[in-house]
Amino acid sequence: MSTPAIETVRLRKEFSTRAGLRVAVQDLDLSVPAGGGVHGFLGPNGSGKTTTIRMLLGLARATSGEMRLFGESVPERLPAVIGRVGAVVESPKFSPNFSGRLNLRLLADAIGAPRSRVDAAIETVQMQGRDRDRYRSYSLGMKQRLAIAATLLKDPELLILDEPTNGLDPAGIREVRETIRGLGDAGVTVLLSSHILAEVQQVCTSATIIGNGRMLASGRVEDLLGASTAFRAVVPDPERAVAVLGAAGLSAVVEDGGVRVETTDAARITRLLGEAGIWLSELTTLRPDLETYFLRLTEAERLGREP
Amino acid sequence: MSDLSRLLRVELARYVHRRAVLVLLGACLVVPVLVGAMTLWDSRPVSADDHALAEARARAECMDRPRVHNDTAGSIDLGGLCLARVSERTEELLSRPPLDLDEEREGGSGPAVASLVAIALLLAGTTFTGHDWASRSVSNQLLFEPRRGRVWAAKAAVVSGAALVVAALVLSSYWLVLATVAEARETLRPGQLVDALQMGWRASGVAAAAALLGFAMTTLFRSTVATIGILLGFAVAGSLLLAGLGVSERWNPAMNLVALIDDGTTYYDDKCAYYDAGHPGDHSCAEVLSFTDAALYLGTIVGLVCVASDRSFRRRDVP
Repeated sequence: MSTPAIETVRLRKEFSTRAGLRVAVQDLDLSVPAGGGVHGFLGPNGSGKTTTIRMLLGLARATSGEMRLFGESVPERLPAVIGRVGAVVESPKFSPNFSGRLNLRLLADAIGAPRSRVDAAIETVQMQGRDRDRYRSYSLGMKQRLAIAATLLKDPELLILDEPTNGLDPAGIREVRETIRGLGDAGVTVLLSSHILAEVQQVCTSATIIGNGRMLASGRVEDLLGASTAFRAVVPDPERAVAVLGAAGLSAVVEDGGVRVETTDAARITRLLGEAGIWLSELTTLRPDLETYFLRLTEAERLGREP
Repeated sequence: MSDLSRLLRVELARYVHRRAVLVLLGACLVVPVLVGAMTLWDSRPVSADDHALAEARARAECMDRPRVHNDTAGSIDLGGLCLARVSERTEELLSRPPLDLDEEREGGSGPAVASLVAIALLLAGTTFTGHDWASRSVSNQLLFEPRRGRVWAAKAAVVSGAALVVAALVLSSYWLVLATVAEARETLRPGQLVDALQMGWRASGVAAAAALLGFAMTTLFRSTVATIGILLGFAVAGSLLLAGLGVSERWNPAMNLVALIDDGTTYYDDKCAYYDAGHPGDHSCAEVLSFTDAALYLGTIVGLVCVASDRSFRRRDVP
């Protein structure tokens, strides 16, 4: 088994506040395999996602626990692996009076990257023409694109992206989504923290869900969501279809103008309805989406019971 | 190129691209030019035109006097007396101290220029790093170079190194220009230029230390405003506070700064004066504060602040 790109063991972070001690991350065991793919990192606001990312990148100190990037213990060995890791943490943070290009150039110079990589990064995020403008004049979407460009300066094997589509318009979101998917397919491991769950579901192969600083679930997205157990059938006469399916022992109800049927056997639905002379115009799998799963999980966590 | 030299280059580029820093570096050039120009103008030699103007003014003053004034001693021709003293009055009106480098170095424009340059460079060091914290771009920098000790050292080296070079160039140029003019006016005495240049170089060291202190404090407090507020508060109330606490002038930072720039100074010890109150005049309370003692004292303060700043930068979470 290859070394994970990210691994945390019983990771914990406490903050001292006026109200007392606050535990932001508690005993988090996170493992993201290396070798490409997009791993979603999900959780409600204040669940500890950003704090975890900041600890992994050496911006915040862990109270206890272990962290490793590509098998190297961090923060002790962070300098040895930081060149393989690109990251956008929360909102983009650049010098507002410098141009986008100068901001990138200074970061590239810090790691000895050639200037040509700055040009390439600017081109990748399609900021040609605005790269010499002051950073403060950029829209939020442009700032976000510049932050992504900064991560590309390193030619990273691991990308950690914290809400990378914040402030982007729909076209921008789509572009970033395609970029992330492309990077994942090209062998870059991406840890994608986002609250836009539909977006995560579209690009992620695996995901970790946390709540109140604790891990609630982790695994392949398909495994998390489970197999489909229901279908939606659209027919001319829903009432009659419910009667036919019910007579065959299936649980069926009229729902939103169609028929919701609880079964794992789609062929049986088409056969039963066909034999009764009811012709299907649509049959859709009712797969629980990540958002439903996430809300069920985090709500259960909030109430302190099993999902 | 080594990692550290690369980092130094990056920080230097960041330093010279920051507008506020450029404005302050510009002030380091403009202020000495203005002060120097005023100094040279105020000490310019008397020309024939100046003499004619002064004489005309002296005569005009006599025109306002009555020709004859009666008093108990008889009549006096005040206007005539005034006219008899025209040449004396003309000399009075023309009295301008000649350019004297020793005067300028000890109490004239030299200390003023050195102080203003040091303050501007302190502010440059402060605003350079304060901007990083205000924009939070420091976290982005650390994503590319996570060795925080190196980042701190590179920024500190750039801030203090740039301050040293700028101050040395500006102050050396200042004294060289004044010495050139003094020589042309035949008022330059042997050894004056060397003394003035040495004072300029000592002041350059002070400016570099001031810039380093500004940087270190701002990194510690993560706020330009906090640093300036503390320094301003100490400048305004520090001496009073120390006097109120009965602390000897020996430990007054301002006194030590004077000793550094002037290569030693004299101060008066209040405790000594109290002890000798019964024997006035028998014993002098004047104490000498040497350059070395002042450098050790202020160097220790700056060093302690730097250690605290570096430790804080390495350990605290970065926003």
